[in-house]
Amino acid sequence: MKTAVNRIRGVERDIVQMPQADDIAPYYEPQGNEVAIFEAAFRKRLPVMLKGPTGCGKTRFLEYMAFQLKRPLVTVSCHEDLTSSDLVGRFLLEGSETVWQDGPLTRAVKAGAICYLDEIVEARTDSTVVIHSLTDHRRRLTIEKKGQEIDAHEDFMLVISYNPGYQTVLKDLKPSTKQRFIAINFDFPAEDVERKILVNEVPGIPVEIAHQLVAAGRKSRLLKDHGLEEATSTRALVYAANMINAGLDPVTACQVAMVNPITDDIELAEAMMEIVQAHFAA
Amino acid sequence: MTSTARQTAISSLLNELKAASFVAHREVEQVLPVIQPHGEEVTLAWIDACRRIFDFDREAGKAFIRGSSEAEKISETVLPWTEQALTFMRWRGSWRALEGFMANLPRAYGTLGHAGERRWAAIGFMWCARQIESGSAFFGTPVLELSGRQGITGIEQLNTPAEELFESRKLLLGTYLSGAIRVRNLLGAQAILPWALRGADIMQSGRIRGEAYFRLESEESLALLLEHLPGYRLTDRNRLLGMLLDVWFGAGFDLKESSWSPEKGRPFMETDGRSLFFPAVMPNRDEAVLSVLHAAGHMRFGTFDRSSMKQMFADAWVDFPASGPVSWAPLFIRYGEDALRFQLIFDLCEDLRVDFRIQHLVPNYLRRLLATARATGTRHPESGVYFDLALASIEEALAATHPNAVRGKRFGVLLDPSSTVADAYRVACTIYSNDELPHIGDLEAFYAAYLPGRGPNATRLAHPQEKKDQQQTEAQGEQQGESQDQGEGEDQTAQNAESGDQQDGGKREEVAGYGDSSGTAAQAAGRQDAQQHGASSDKGVPYPEWDYREARYKRNWSWVQEKKLSEANLSETHRLMKQYADALKRLKKAIQSQKPTRLAPRLRQMDGDDMDLNAVVSFIAEKKAGRSPNPAIYRRREMRQREVAVTLLADMSTSIMQHLPEGGGRLVDRVRAGVLLFAESMEEVGDNYSIAGFCSKYRDNVSYYTIKNFDEPLSENIRSQIGGMSGRLATRMGAAIRHATARFEAVTSRRRLLLILSDGRPEDYDDGGDRRYLHEDTRMAVKEAVAKGVHPFCITVDTMANQYLPQIFGPGHYMVLDHINTLPKKLPEIYFRLRR
Repeated sequence: MKTAVNRIRGVERDIVQMPQADDIAPYYEPQGNEVAIFEAAFRKRLPVMLKGPTGCGKTRFLEYMAFQLKRPLVTVSCHEDLTSSDLVGRFLLEGSETVWQDGPLTRAVKAGAICYLDEIVEARTDSTVVIHSLTDHRRRLTIEKKGQEIDAHEDFMLVISYNPGYQTVLKDLKPSTKQRFIAINFDFPAEDVERKILVNEVPGIPVEIAHQLVAAGRKSRLLKDHGLEEATSTRALVYAANMINAGLDPVTACQVAMVNPITDDIELAEAMMEIVQAHFAA
Repeated sequence: MTSTARQTAISSLLNELKAASFVAHREVEQVLPVIQPHGEEVTLAWIDACRRIFDFDREAGKAFIRGSSEAEKISETVLPWTEQALTFMRWRGSWRALEGFMANLPRAYGTLGHAGERRWAAIGFMWCARQIESGSAFFGTPVLELSGRQGITGIEQLNTPAEELFESRKLLLGTYLSGAIRVRNLLGAQAILPWALRGADIMQSGRIRGEAYFRLESEESLALLLEHLPGYRLTDRNRLLGMLLDVWFGAGFDLKESSWSPEKGRPFMETDGRSLFFPAVMPNRDEAVLSVLHAAGHMRFGTFDRSSMKQMFADAWVDFPASGPVSWAPLFIRYGEDALRFQLIFDLCEDLRVDFRIQHLVPNYLRRLLATARATGTRHPESGVYFDLALASIEEALAATHPNAVRGKRFGVLLDPSSTVADAYRVACTIYSNDELPHIGDLEAFYAAYLPGRGPNATRLAHPQEKKDQQQTEAQGEQQGESQDQGEGEDQTAQNAESGDQQDGGKREEVAGYGDSSGTAAQAAGRQDAQQHGASSDKGVPYPEWDYREARYKRNWSWVQEKKLSEANLSETHRLMKQYADALKRLKKAIQSQKPTRLAPRLRQMDGDDMDLNAVVSFIAEKKAGRSPNPAIYRRREMRQREVAVTLLADMSTSIMQHLPEGGGRLVDRVRAGVLLFAESMEEVGDNYSIAGFCSKYRDNVSYYTIKNFDEPLSENIRSQIGGMSGRLATRMGAAIRHATARFEAVTSRRRLLLILSDGRPEDYDDGGDRRYLHEDTRMAVKEAVAKGVHPFCITVDTMANQYLPQIFGPGHYMVLDHINTLPKKLPEIYFRLRR
């Protein structure tokens, strides 16, 4: 969240940032009733799972909700080597002493922040087990290494994100984990919403260009089954719009933002460029 | 000789001729006036030649005499070609060559000049000397064809390879020549030698095959031609075209290669309302893309709509058949010789109607069409008018896309979204009767009149479609095409039908009786069943089957028998290993670089799960000594790779035996290669894996062929079994999945993956024609597998799989391979992506 004081660029700050009065709201365009659902879940402090493809607004939504609900947000990007120590904390050597340092999850639990575990599926299974006790009625975090437990702050809430693509065939969350969450499905926004997003994210972009970008993006998404791991995301469209705004011609902007990053397959790239050129032909 | 002596000699010769043949003498007398102006000596020499050649061979003599006046006229000489003609007397049976020589003389002089003519004759004589038939072939071929409008150089181009081939392979000129000319015309002179060398090789392996190659009748020669033809190769790119169709029109288009070859003239895309047929090569990419979109537009926007077609036929007072394919010919026959003209106009109108509709789907389509058309070079002199008219119609259409545009009078009707092909016909009739457009008689002019992306619409029998019926109807076998009035041949392509013997095999087995799975059909490749002996043999393992209509399981309904593959083909295995050696090498390297080789824990880490005692001690000691040691005192436990066990289950039903539409073998070849590469990669990776195949005939005969068990090493025997994999019978996938799942119980790894390699729907002979039945059962089998901790993932080469796989396996749990040829390489890749 943007604050006037703390957002000094290039200076580290604590991961738990209490919201300030003069924070600016992050921009988010609701697609359906996700805001209401999240608010309801928050009222009951139920854990939430955000499901959807990459680049469709999950993280932005959460930032927005955290702002609305005036809670600090702690984000952890999960990866294959993420262990429970990375989440809960570890002993570090400082001077001649061994000091315990809380991990981000523990900090969030103590401070009553919203903890966001992004792409939880990637993490090692010993880390997902940690959240089991946090996500049921116990709301308790166990720190095995210290032999202690913490009952979560009453404002603590856990949110995870989850991208159902085929790479999760083997690496899926156990059903017992999934059932502990309220799940909100995200998908790429409807045409008019996506256009609005583009216009808001890239001020100064001509409306016509936004129309064309969204139309081209929607058509490219139809190619997903032909070998793309991920379809064209809204984020890619925003990048393209930014590049156009910066002075690049539309076809090149689309190529570098929408086509090149997604695929190395020559024919797929050709098909996508055909779509782009059909929409942007001079 | 004095003049008198000469004259006496002349008359005596003439008398001898008269005695030999009255007709010949008379003809000589007719030609004489032309020869005489050259002088008495020349005349004497010529008549002498007439007599001698006539004596040598009557036909030759006649040919000589008859051809002399033209020859004299164009060359303005007599002696040179007379002497050449005399040369023929050296060889027996050369009269045909002489005939050809005389017939070609005028052209030879005309296009090659005197020096060229001499060289031409000299080459021909050399051939006569080698083999007289070759000489006849040489002289019999029109000089213009030989030279290819490049004078004597053109002839040399053809001749040099021919001479070499005669020396080395005894290839006769007659066999070689016409094909070589065509190759030269289509691909240029540099293509002749490689083509000819290849042909000579083929000749060695079989005379008949070789000769077919040289006559450009064999597939191999056509394939070579197409390979070297300049332009955009659609065969290699049909995946891209399929993707574009998918994106703009939605899935459901059947793309097939037509039998177009370069001598058929300009390449076009065709459709019959049911499928799209593309030529192997088109001039450039833009034209190819426009063609594919345009042809799909015909299918989508009602050119083949049954009721509209019926209306159109009614307007033309022609009968419209109630069912089955429809010929366009009756609509055009009435115009007799003017049929081409009418067809051009009709196509122009219908194409306009379709293109206008396409514009609403594909942004900037019309503009692109215009730009590509305008970039075309010169117009054909005869039909350029039509081309320009078509351009004008597109401009009109483009104008009509703007809001509040006023529609033109001529084509306005067609720019209405509700217009049909019948409207196009009416408009065409109106334009035709106005009679302002020129007559077209020539096929080349006809073809040149079409804008890029468009083509003649009525080249195939039409299969009228019902409004809702956008899907392919079941193949009833491809119909033979009827030729147009102009004698344009119908293209025939083989459907994706099973090869003949497979079809017979299937039918025969159906008739052979219930429960007879041991393959008593004549084609049986000797796959042995362990259960063949003993009537009371083990019926196999029973599994329940899900009946979706009754929403319940039928207990012990399907029976799976475990069998061993008895077919083994080690040489095939070796051939495949060689063919894919590069791919395998790359795969192995990739695997090796990914392998985590840490079996020991990593010590002295900045961070870890436990403390590294040695490092701790050093740390404290150094601290006490007053230094600032590195606080790397932890150790990480070893990286345990996720244990995965995988079963590769290959569909071995009869459909994998079919030949690939783009040629290059059969699907089963790719399957074998894929399984082989997979096995080799798995050996490298070290994961526990098993390989099996399945097929079925009725519910109680599901054959499960375990090619390799878990924990079994990959032996030569297993490799050769993979090389011998073949397909027969049907695909009862649900039962096979259940069995494969059951076999996982022997395995203790945490992750279990069931990779299913498929080429089509689950189906069997006894599903009563209800596709959904086995689909639903397979879906349940997949669910059961997941419940047992086995994750199924389906890899299919059926491009229509999007219609049924998502419901069976779930979104994200299958993959469609657009290009069958990528199967061998992709199979291992997919596995690695999944297991990560």
